[in-house]
Amino acid sequence: MTCGEFQKILPDIMEGQRKAEHAAHLQSCPACSGLVSDLSLISEQARLLQASEEPSPRVWNQIEIALRQEGLIRQPGRDRSLVPAFSRRWSLAWLLPVAAILVIAFGVTVYKGGRSQQIASNRVAAPVAMSLAANSNDDQQLLEVVGSRTPSMRTSYADNLRNVNAYIRDAEQTVQNDPNDEEAQRSLMAAYEQKAMVYEMALDRSLP
Amino acid sequence: MTDARKPQGDRLSESEAIERAKQGDAEAFQVLYDLHKRRVYSLCLRMTANTAEAEDLTQEAFLQLFRKIGTFRGESAFSTWLHRMAVNVVLMRLRKKSLPVVPLEETVETEDEAPKKELGAQDAKLAGSIDRLELQRAIEALPPGYRSIFVLHDVEGYEHNEIAGMVGCSIGNSKSQLHKARMKLRELLKTSRPGRTEKASKP
Repeated sequence: MTCGEFQKILPDIMEGQRKAEHAAHLQSCPACSGLVSDLSLISEQARLLQASEEPSPRVWNQIEIALRQEGLIRQPGRDRSLVPAFSRRWSLAWLLPVAAILVIAFGVTVYKGGRSQQIASNRVAAPVAMSLAANSNDDQQLLEVVGSRTPSMRTSYADNLRNVNAYIRDAEQTVQNDPNDEEAQRSLMAAYEQKAMVYEMALDRSLP
Repeated sequence: MTDARKPQGDRLSESEAIERAKQGDAEAFQVLYDLHKRRVYSLCLRMTANTAEAEDLTQEAFLQLFRKIGTFRGESAFSTWLHRMAVNVVLMRLRKKSLPVVPLEETVETEDEAPKKELGAQDAKLAGSIDRLELQRAIEALPPGYRSIFVLHDVEGYEHNEIAGMVGCSIGNSKSQLHKARMKLRELLKTSRPGRTEKASKP
């Protein structure tokens, strides 16, 4: 058997259809045996790439937001207006981020209403949201409560907050560079919404 | 804890999570996501060779899954169902972008795409090991058609008959393209590591 004949049927040989004459050729031909061992090595190493990469926490954030918007995540038999009950059980300090979320939500609503209102809403929402991005005390408090109720979720929420804070900082910087950039303003509002969503998710999860 | 949730230290099993996700339980969705995110994302990343697109496709695959989870009856393994859905999402995206999911049998290969013929040539051999990163880079450099078949077969472990069904080609075509993909990868790996190959002498 020549190398040409061997390599013509190599795809079948690689699929395991190996006959005595193929084995004999492999034993006598370093070039073809080198080729077969290289192709086998590539195939073996490729399997190690399965499930080898970790997606960014942003992916789950987006999925969870979409699930909530589509109503696929339902609250398990509880009234949505749980803030007072929640605050009785937990620290009053929780009212701060909750209030901030409401203000941001207000800002977003007004923003969607029109451009003239958008400017006003940004003026209201931005400082509050900036305080959310910059003030790590609220984030820390959130993580402590999440950690005390569901310890395995703490890291996940820490990642979420780090990402969303970075997103807010980037968006704020872009708006500062060009206050008339509508795309940048939209990104900033989206960043605020994401942060509000992270807090809302944590509140939902932390409920007894 | 008296409600449906369990403490996170005692995370839900996959089957429990599936049942609770059907009821709209937020934690159950995340448990399912955490169990399968690496496999789905890695598949999307290998097939597209683009991080942003892979994230987008991962999101799309999981959303499709969660929207349909109420119809899951457990006749097939959940992971099989999810991964097949992810493959379909990726293949659909490649088709939308008019990228070849698999080269047609009749397609004339360009000089650039066709693996170099090695008949009788004195040949350098890969030196016994392949670094994960260099293999990743070589896969990214494959033409999209070869890449799809290679990833589905050698990385994800699908059989040729399954691949033929998924991408819409013959089993023979799948086998032939896989071989060409491996040959092309060998060539790419050798050129990326000029000092790390061994000469295989002709008898």
